[in-house]
This record gives sequence, C-alpha cells and structure tokens, in this order.
Amino acid sequence: MVATDIVGIAVTTLILGSIYGLVAIGMTLIYGTLRILDMSQGSMVMVGSFIGWGILVVAGLNPILAILAAFAATFILGVLTQLASVQPLMKRRSAIDFEMVTFITTFAVAMVLTNVALELLGPFQRNVTSVVSGSISVYHGVNLPYQSLTMALVSIALMAALGVFLARTRWGLAIRAVAQDLDAARLMGVPVGKLYPLTMGLASALAGVAGVFLGGLYFAYPQAGDLPLLEALIVVIFGGLGSLPGTVYAAYAIGLIQATAEVIVGTTWSLPILYTVILLVLIVRPHGLLGKPSEARL
Amino acid sequence: MSERETLAEPTASPVLATSVFPLMTRGRWGATCLAALVAAAIPLVMTNQYVLSVMITTLILLVLNISWNFLLGVAGVWNFGQLAIYALGGYGAGIIMLHSSVSPWLALLAGGVIGTVVAVLLSFPTLRLYGIYTSLLTFAFAEIVQYVILNDGSGLTGGSFGLPIVPGLYSSLGLSTSARAYYWTALAVVVASTVALAAVGRSRLGIALRGIRDAPAYTAARGVNPLRYRIVAFAISGFLAGIAGALYVSYDQSISPSVMGLTPMSVYVTMLVIGGLGTATGPILGTILVQIVATLLVTHPGAEFTILGLFLLVVVVFVPEGLAGLIGRYWRKVAAWAAEDEQSATEAAEATGETEGSPDEYVA
Repeated sequence: MVATDIVGIAVTTLILGSIYGLVAIGMTLIYGTLRILDMSQGSMVMVGSFIGWGILVVAGLNPILAILAAFAATFILGVLTQLASVQPLMKRRSAIDFEMVTFITTFAVAMVLTNVALELLGPFQRNVTSVVSGSISVYHGVNLPYQSLTMALVSIALMAALGVFLARTRWGLAIRAVAQDLDAARLMGVPVGKLYPLTMGLASALAGVAGVFLGGLYFAYPQAGDLPLLEALIVVIFGGLGSLPGTVYAAYAIGLIQATAEVIVGTTWSLPILYTVILLVLIVRPHGLLGKPSEARL
Repeated sequence: MSERETLAEPTASPVLATSVFPLMTRGRWGATCLAALVAAAIPLVMTNQYVLSVMITTLILLVLNISWNFLLGVAGVWNFGQLAIYALGGYGAGIIMLHSSVSPWLALLAGGVIGTVVAVLLSFPTLRLYGIYTSLLTFAFAEIVQYVILNDGSGLTGGSFGLPIVPGLYSSLGLSTSARAYYWTALAVVVASTVALAAVGRSRLGIALRGIRDAPAYTAARGVNPLRYRIVAFAISGFLAGIAGALYVSYDQSISPSVMGLTPMSVYVTMLVIGGLGTATGPILGTILVQIVATLLVTHPGAEFTILGLFLLVVVVFVPEGLAGLIGRYWRKVAAWAAEDEQSATEAAEATGETEGSPDEYVA
C-alpha cells in the first residue's frame, strides 16, 4: 500500500466517520431514552439537504443561516414526528411490542416525508452549493475539500456539544435519567412528557444539519436520506444500540472499514462489505461492541 | 443457555395482532370456498388484459405476503430478509428454466426448495437475537444478496437488467390463454397456502409458535424448544416465498434486483400491517386494498406512497389489529347478538372479549 493510499484512507475515515457519527448519534440518543429505532432520521437528512438547497441556491443566502434554518426546521419536524408516531402509543407501551411498532410508525413517517418531497419537488437531483468552497492539498494527490473539513469539524463540535449538554445541563441530565430508569426519573419530577419530543427534535436537528453538508457533497433529492439512514443503522448496531461512546467509536470504525474497502476493492463493494461486517458483529456479539442486553445506557 | 435467556426476554409481548388463524368452522370453510370460486370465475368474464395482469401480479404477491405473514405475524420473527428469499427462489427457478430442459414445474418446485434452504440458513444466525436485532440482521442479509446479484460478474443473473426472457410455465400457450392459466395457477397456490397455513395454525406447531411469540419463557418452560420451532417456521415460510419468486419469474418472464430493497419492502409491510398481521384473512385484504390504491395512483408515485404511509401510521396507532381484526371484531359482535338466546354466557364473553395477550390465547 502506498503512502498516498494511507493518507487518503485517513482523510476519508475522518470525513465519513464524522458524518456517520452525526446522524447515528441522534438515533442512539433516541434509542437510549425512548427505546425506539427512529427510521425517520434519514428523511430528516433529506429535509436538511433541501433546506440547504433552498437557502443557498434558490435564495442565495448565507451558509450559516442555512445550517440554523435546517436545525430549527428539522427540530420542529422531529417534535411533530414524535407527537404523531410515538406519543399516541405511549399509553399502550407495555401491551404492545413497543420497539417493533414504533419502528413501523417512524418508518411510515419517513415514507410520508420522502414522498411529499417527491410530489412537491420532483425526483430531480439538485445541486447544493458548498457551504465553503476550495480545497487543501494534504499530501501528494490527496485533496481535502474545505466543505468536507468543515463538515467533519462541525460534526465533531456538535457531538462534543451534545456530550456537554447531556453531562452538564439540567435537560441533559433529565434525558440520561430517563434512559437509566424511567419510573425513578418520573418520581424525581422529570417531565417525561416534554422530554420525549425534545429528545427526538434534538436528534432530528443533528440529522438535518448533517443533511445541509451531505447535500453539498452529493445532491438534494427525495431519496437522499435512504443511504445515510442505512449507514447510520449499521453504525448504531455496530456500536451497540443506545451506547453513545459506542456510537462514536463505531462511526469512525465503520468509516475506516468503508474507506479501506473503497481503496482496495472499489466503491461498489464498500456497502456489501459493511453489511457483511455487521452480519458478523450480530452473530458474534448480538448487542454490538459496547451494547449491553437490556440494561439502561447512555 | 444464553440463547434461552435472550429468548425469554420479557419485552417480547404480543405483537400487533389479536386473533390468530381462528378455528376453521363450517361457515368459514363455506366462505373460503365461495370466495375461491368467485375469484376463479373472474378471468372468464374479465377481458381487460391490463386488469387481469394486475390481478395475476396481486395473486403472486399474495403468496409472498402469506408466507411473510406466517413468519412475522404467527411466529413473531421479524425477518426483513424475506424479499431476498423470494428473489433467490425466483432467480433459481428462472435460471433453471433458462438453462436446462427440465419441466418448468420442476423449476417451480426448485424455487421452493431454494427458498427453504436459504431461509433455514438465514434462521441460524437469528437464533440468538430477538426483536429489532433480528430485523437488522435479516435486512443486512437482504442487502448483501441484492448487491451480489447486481454486481454479479459471471453474467448469470444479468446484473441490474435481470434475467433475459424466461420461457415460463405456459410458454406454449397464446397470450390471453396463458394469462388465464397463470391466474388460475397463482390462485390455486394462494388457496392452497392459505388452507395449509390455517391448518398449521391449528396444529401443535402453530400453537407452539404463537406461544413462543407471546410468552417465550412460559412456552420454553412447558418443554417447547423455541430454537427448533423458529427454524421450522423459517423453513415453511421460505418454501412459500421461493414458490412465489418462481411464479413471479415465470409470469413476468424476467426478474431483476428491483424486486428487493427498501421500497418494495415498505409496500409489502404496509399491506400486511393494514390487513392485520398474524391473521389468516389480513394479508389478503391488505394486499388487495393496497394494490388497488397503487394501481389507481400509478402515475403519481409520490401521492401513492404518501397515502400508504399515512394509512400505515393511522392503522398502527388506532387499529393495531388491522382491517381483518376490525372486521372480525364487529362480526363476532353480530354473531354474539344473533346467538344470544342459545349461547351460554361464557361463550359470548369469549366471542366478544378477546383481548391482547389474554391468558387463554396460547392455551387455545
């Protein structure tokens, strides 16, 4: 293996890992608190890309505004998703297979969002202007576009901010308390009813911000969320559902595997290789790398 | 031992359905026979070839959905790799029809055998898993199968274009005659599999499967081996899915990787859940209803899926037992009123008061 390849793999790992982390950490947050595998996160990425396209290309405004708008819009959408697809089921929680039923309802929301976008905006792939243009040469033949670098930095910053939020703030503590013991948290006066929509809004907002950047790297189109969703699912299982540190490690590990696979066997086979890895992980360690069977996490 | 513990996880409570393959009473037999006869008479009066082709596709889909319903609804195993089993059965049968001179009926059977083998192999890694993890593993399997077929370098599968023109079961017949023949073949398979799975649902096997689904710890304690029964459920379901795939490739004269993936899967799951997961009539009602919506909105895919998504959401939240359960509930009420004089109080209570996870469900 040539030095160029190694540097290339390192750079790709950083970029892929950061972006996977941003989408997957939201899913982990939701799974940790609500025991829901939120299938609507992919469509939040798609909505984020379209907001990026709308503000950067159609309106020609500032990239920071695009990121803020995507954050706000997907936050609201996430809250609405929770109210429509999860809240009505909360009362029957113990009588139904909650994980599977919410898996289906959030999937239904994803179906609706994707196809409303298809009906309103058409199946076209829209170019989203890069948030930052230009690129830096890292090594002979390895270029790192500023867009990717910014994306990685923003992702890392947001993940760190989420960590601080969960560790230091009142609401963050409340989310972790609910994740650990719902009944105890409720007895301590945690407003669980408000917390659930907040958690899902927050996670969706992270996916929305990821969407603005991903739209710049690829395109904005109605199915733009499918691939990020599948990749985030792989990351989330690999790290162990509900484990935040596990998700961050897994994001970079999956990024590394994909980057290496792309260099060695080509782009076509990188996803099948990831799926094989995840198949093996589930066979060997059914609860992922850091996941624990049914214990409270986060 | 750890497997036993994982399966005994208390979270695996009843899934979506409440009534499961109810006993086939004389009235039900009559209704089933009547429905089958009416369905069989349709191609005699229906001359519109387009409508007939949609109906044949629906019947083939019904076979797939009945097989999937058995695993998802009755056995409670969240297998999202069913479309890969279906596709592999179809590709296997198609390749045999293309490259060998054996009877296409043998190829059809071979599709079922391939489906069984693939399903049993797929069942092994899922034995340690439950719920959401099962669905992720099986979905990963389906994605790998799709990629392998798409990027197959040997030219056996034809990549994204799929198999070239496959002779099929009725290649010697004319267009409209063969359409009728396919219709009756597919209908026969639908009726046979419905009746067979209803019988299985009544048997010890069906009772054991529902027991494992609703109360894994209790059922295991009563001496039912959950792992063995899960493999058997996969095998039965896989056989039918393989047959469905073989019927598809035979009628469509081709099969491509687009039969798998997230989009078709979401449609089929919608069909099952809307109809009523785990019921005998649910998949039939759901498949027909969704196919009608899809056919009417064929020029507006965005609107079609938006409606299906909203439908799915509303059904799961407000009518968790599905259309079949809803109809069954009202039907039982009517029946209870009609028979009020002669029926004893306990029977009436049983007829109306069938609730989720009631203790008598797995003893039945």
